[in-house]
Amino acid sequence: MTNEMYDVLIIGSGHAGGMAAKILTEQGIQCLMLNAGPVADVARDAQPKPAYDLPYRGFKQPGKLEHVFQSNGFNEHVWVDEQEVPYTFNPQNPYNWVRVRLFGGRSLFWSRQSFRLSDYEFKGKSHDGFGDDWPISHADLSPYYSRVEGIFQVAGAMDGPVQMPDGNFVKDDDPWSQAMLRFGAAGKPYDMQICKQRRAMGRDGLASSVNLLLPDAEKTGKLTSVANAVVREITRDKATGQPNGCHFVDRLSGREMHVKARVIVLAAGTLESTRLLLNSGNMADSSGLVGRYLMDQIYGPGVVCSVPEARGGKAAKGLVGGGAIVPRFRNIKTKADGFLRGYAMNVTSSMGGLDARNFKAYGKDLQAKMDEYYGSGFHMTMMGEVLGRYENHVRINKDKVDAWGIQTLHIETKYSDNEINMSKDCAETGAAIAEAAGFEVLAKNPVPNPPGYSIHEVGTCRMGDDPKKSVLNKWNQSHDHKNLFVVDGAAFTSAGWQNPTMTILSLSMRASEYLAGEMKKGNV
Amino acid sequence: MLRRDFVRAVMAVAAVPRLLFAQKGAQLPLPAPTPWTQGLNPKTPVPRTVAAEIVADGELKFFSTQQMATLSRLSDVLVPAIGNKPGAVAAETPAFFDFLIGTSPEARKKLYAGGLMWIDAESVKKYKMPFAKLNDEQADALLKPWLRTWMNDHPPTEPHADFINIAHDEIRTATVNSKAWSLVAEARTPSGLYWYPIEPDLRSVSAASAHVQPHVQAVPKISHPMPTYPR
Repeated sequence: MTNEMYDVLIIGSGHAGGMAAKILTEQGIQCLMLNAGPVADVARDAQPKPAYDLPYRGFKQPGKLEHVFQSNGFNEHVWVDEQEVPYTFNPQNPYNWVRVRLFGGRSLFWSRQSFRLSDYEFKGKSHDGFGDDWPISHADLSPYYSRVEGIFQVAGAMDGPVQMPDGNFVKDDDPWSQAMLRFGAAGKPYDMQICKQRRAMGRDGLASSVNLLLPDAEKTGKLTSVANAVVREITRDKATGQPNGCHFVDRLSGREMHVKARVIVLAAGTLESTRLLLNSGNMADSSGLVGRYLMDQIYGPGVVCSVPEARGGKAAKGLVGGGAIVPRFRNIKTKADGFLRGYAMNVTSSMGGLDARNFKAYGKDLQAKMDEYYGSGFHMTMMGEVLGRYENHVRINKDKVDAWGIQTLHIETKYSDNEINMSKDCAETGAAIAEAAGFEVLAKNPVPNPPGYSIHEVGTCRMGDDPKKSVLNKWNQSHDHKNLFVVDGAAFTSAGWQNPTMTILSLSMRASEYLAGEMKKGNV
Repeated sequence: MLRRDFVRAVMAVAAVPRLLFAQKGAQLPLPAPTPWTQGLNPKTPVPRTVAAEIVADGELKFFSTQQMATLSRLSDVLVPAIGNKPGAVAAETPAFFDFLIGTSPEARKKLYAGGLMWIDAESVKKYKMPFAKLNDEQADALLKPWLRTWMNDHPPTEPHADFINIAHDEIRTATVNSKAWSLVAEARTPSGLYWYPIEPDLRSVSAASAHVQPHVQAVPKISHPMPTYPR
């Protein structure tokens, strides 16, 4: 086995790695996939239980996952343990790094919102002068987006403005509820438009690498996968200096292993891919930009309100229900005061109960309020663009290692006034529109969650045409090493407001087809 | 090793190969008891168990007697029994909190221990008696000015309002999630898919690395506070 040379080594099994495996193996290329964690088998590892039967009545084990706000007593074992794989930051600037190492990674748990980036993102600098343009445009990626939307069965309507390009959708022609139409009308003065949500339906309610991508790769007979393989470093050929495989540790036994491959495809998730490059002797870093320009999206700000006519569950048919996406509307036709770029809002009209924290009451008063407001909830939450800045970065912390002795990341990032002002604008604008629509505002929040919370971390190996100003070229290929590709979110040049999944999948598909072509031509 | 044991050990080693040969050659039935893996199959009934909290009381370790009395009264005021639904006291939420808060990060311990002492001191200042002895009207007068509305993950950060609103939310959750709540027909305890530790827990392996102090540089305090309520 030790002499085995794989064509391509894929590190990571989420959306990015799964797509690379599918495309490459379907072209007849022998792939080895390493994943740092185990296979998740619901039949073996999970069981329906009431909250009282859990160790902490449904609360998560205190102190274990302080930075994973998404965790609770039911799911706390699916996240990467912060003690097992620690990371550091300055306490003044916390970072919520939310990680999953199960096979399929975070593709098992994503919200399935499926948007394309537009040229307001790909060519942001040309539009407003900030940052850098991507080396590709929407037209370059559009054919790949269409194929990905087909595989993932994205439901939506062809109703997007230019800043939210339409795609290859399973048609959503459900009528709007009146509450949603009222909200849309009230938003008109802000150049706001309500559009149908765009959501990957996948298969059986799951739209993941494990059910939509990996089975196709396995069908070819060309994919070999190893679970619990924690990659320590990418190795180099002594003569040429080119990457030629990796060292990894068996997660459970601690046994040190190595494996060889002609090409390395990194798909470990933005920050793990970057950590691996930095831990491999600053590989692919002739620009000095590996780890720089960490971005994500602003989550947390929003508004909760109530549609008065729907209270007490007495809504007439068609009054409430449904959801909408409000694509970015700031800095498109007019210029916003105090910030560049913009944010989208997820809008939901709910027909169930409202959360107790929306009322200044407890005991019997609270119960009365909750009964009164039942069925009338209307929620807005923000997804805002975080600007790419050189100073927001990750670096190796030599003084702290993980459970396998691998050096960890120090994350140094914070939101600037641009993000803070945008968040305030969202809460204020959302509340103003709600009031104009005749809704009662119950609670609003203008403060962003800590960076990382959106689980949309991107950047740190940005792509570009100039090898001095970027890590990857327009094919997700290292400027320094022809046989090294980074196909996950690390490649992003700017973050946009959009859930990055469709873009990661499309970039990985495009890069993998390019790689297959280059391998056939003998260029790689 | 005593000589007698040594002799016995040598004899046992010598006897093993003969026993194996005998089984293989003559197809004898396996010696009793039957290997356990043959008896454990998907049809084997699995013993049913309940959570320890349902049959036993937890040892109280964290809150002082006075803090516990304050917490019990506060729980009863914030989440009383309504109709046939149990309140926080019947759901044994205060005792559960002694465990939950007592095993939590320092900031959460401080929020609760400090908050309970503060509300008790307020009570003594205003009514000349501990919070635990207040009637509902008196308790309302102390608590209601601090109620705020808020959204997910953003509890109030203002002193005292933080304690009252977080405690209310968490006491309510612990009560709704209790066994006592589930026993009432129209109340339903939330349930979901519980994931077991998927592979052996590696916390002991990583303990050494976890104790290394984080390497950070001092930077000026930021002007935009992020939520920092460690749970």
